Amino acid sequence: MSKRFLSALVAALALAVALAACGSSSSSSSSEASGGGSEATSPLVGAGSTLVAPLMSKWQSDFSSKAEITVTYGAIGSGGGIEQITSRTVDFGASDAPLTEEQFEEANSQGEVEEIPWALSGTVPAYNVKGAPANLKLSGEVLAGIYLGEITSWDDPAIAKLNPGAQLPSTKITPVYRSDGSGDTYAFTNYLSSVSPEFESTVGTSTQVKFPTGVGAEKNDGVAAAIGQTDGAIGYVGLAYAASSELSVPLIENSAGEFPEPGVKSVEAAAAAVTKIGPNNEISLAELPASAKGAYPISTYTYVIVPLETEKATEMKKFIQYAITEGQSYGPDLDFAPLPKQVVAAAEKAIAKIGG
Amino acid sequence: MEAGTLSNPALRARRNLTDRIGDPLLRGLSGLAAALAVVVIVGIIYEVIHLAWPAIQEFGLGFVTTNDWNPVAKRFGAAPFLYGTVVTSFIALLFAAPLSIAISLYLTELAPRRIMRPVATLVDMLAAIPTVILGLWGILVLGPFMRDTIEPALHSVLGFLPIFDGDPSAFGYLTAALILTIMVTPIITSVTREVFETVPGDLKEASYALGATRWEMVRQVVLPYSRPGIVGATILGLGRAIGEAIAVAQVIGGANLINASLFHTGGTLAAQIASQFQNSAGLQKASLAYLGLILLVFAVVVNVVARVIVQRGQIGDADAEDLDIAAPATRAQPV
Repeated sequence: MSKRFLSALVAALALAVALAACGSSSSSSSSEASGGGSEATSPLVGAGSTLVAPLMSKWQSDFSSKAEITVTYGAIGSGGGIEQITSRTVDFGASDAPLTEEQFEEANSQGEVEEIPWALSGTVPAYNVKGAPANLKLSGEVLAGIYLGEITSWDDPAIAKLNPGAQLPSTKITPVYRSDGSGDTYAFTNYLSSVSPEFESTVGTSTQVKFPTGVGAEKNDGVAAAIGQTDGAIGYVGLAYAASSELSVPLIENSAGEFPEPGVKSVEAAAAAVTKIGPNNEISLAELPASAKGAYPISTYTYVIVPLETEKATEMKKFIQYAITEGQSYGPDLDFAPLPKQVVAAAEKAIAKIGG
Repeated sequence: MEAGTLSNPALRARRNLTDRIGDPLLRGLSGLAAALAVVVIVGIIYEVIHLAWPAIQEFGLGFVTTNDWNPVAKRFGAAPFLYGTVVTSFIALLFAAPLSIAISLYLTELAPRRIMRPVATLVDMLAAIPTVILGLWGILVLGPFMRDTIEPALHSVLGFLPIFDGDPSAFGYLTAALILTIMVTPIITSVTREVFETVPGDLKEASYALGATRWEMVRQVVLPYSRPGIVGATILGLGRAIGEAIAVAQVIGGANLINASLFHTGGTLAAQIASQFQNSAGLQKASLAYLGLILLVFAVVVNVVARVIVQRGQIGDADAEDLDIAAPATRAQPV
């Protein structure tokens, strides 16, 4: 009898320990979010986008020395950031793709959230074709055709037409894409969807999509390795990654009919040309006006998502204000373009709403 | 001497105290440890089901047979990844099991001592290579070699089979299966080697005494005696192959459809979870958890099957019919 009693006791004890562990983990995170008075500055905790992570680490050290507010950031991916801010386990989330209506609804169910653009960069195609010239010229339609599996060889008439006089090999085209979720996939598919109705209807725009053809690889370096190892491959990577690697980069035609080099300057030009800011501060740079000279066509904003009601409103406001103004100065070195004035103005309006 | 010390009343009292506390304490602590293991397993299963629940409600059992994975259209299915897991693991075992048995036989029966030691250590070290490194090697070396050499050769000879049809590619089922082969070989080898070492020397000597050649001895004594162990080792390797995520995700090419050709890109359950979980939310996250649940069930089924096979093997092994030589005499000897 005592044996049975003892084993029951042990089981109950284990259960209690487990329950306590579960309870404490959820309560500790909520106390972290709600704790801290208004006098003493409390640390900010954020999570999300990996794209913004290099810029964020500059911001973290600079902001903590200037404002004496520490910011902890987990680069867990945009989807994770959205999920964590939806469940309010962090103070802010960061996402490369603006929230969808459904995601907004979910995030707003615990009190309204605000989406604020706070960094600007681009996505760059890269290719590896033996016998083809460097800086091949391509257009959005051609890229869409390649990723839809309709343009399958490098000497396709559509590519030849854009590169008059160039020697093009008949190598088979292998499109490479990110198999994990990525802000670059979002920017790239958003661009292809805007230039090709067929791409929009069969593939669509998201951080993860189902490409009808090609090879998937993990992360920027996986894509770069796959391109490097495959004759005839084309893929896409982040602007910063493309700048630091030795991949051949094609020039993509913009709405003005030019072929600007991808870089901070041309991304800045694209951002300056777009003044339409959505109701949730979302800005798509995929459809550039024909007047946008020198604008890089695959530019993209990345966003911070904050709840309007937060105990850390003061700190949160300070940090985002810092990020969209002073913090932008770190951008160009890391291949982020500075935010245009009208976006800073819209962001400041949004910041004012935090804390009621 | 024991009795002498116990005659001291103070010591006896202390002994009684430890008697009263020690045993229950031991039972309690070890019971707690055992209970913890159960709690962890139950907790994991609960959490996976809990996480997968929205997808289970949305797709039901049809999820398992749906050949699609489209995050934009929110249509998710496990079939492409279930197929990829079965195909890559099966091919990996097809290569790794005979290879491992051959390595073990060489090491235990044929190799001179000074060769055996370093070779055995090297094979074991193969298991210590981080899977990410193996995956990188797959992208940079094995993949291109498959595409340029192995796959064109297979295609030209066996191209009429749908599994060897299509364009050679550095990324795909076959490359992933070979990476898995490299990964499971040291596991199967180290277990089979130990099993072969337990084959009683008198059995082998008896076989030689009856005029058997070395090959006959291996075939008639070592292999039958070790059968359950070999099966167990293979299943251990299968478990590893099913669950491997990172290296497979690096080389399989992340396609969301079933493709008949082994050269084509595909996906496995574990690789899909590893590459997409971090950046997913909502129904997609739930569907990934559903994949995890399927993987869990898959692993349990494999484990149960392995246990049944091993048990049956042991029963079969118990009667000497399995050994072609006159084993009963040696069997009767006390071990």
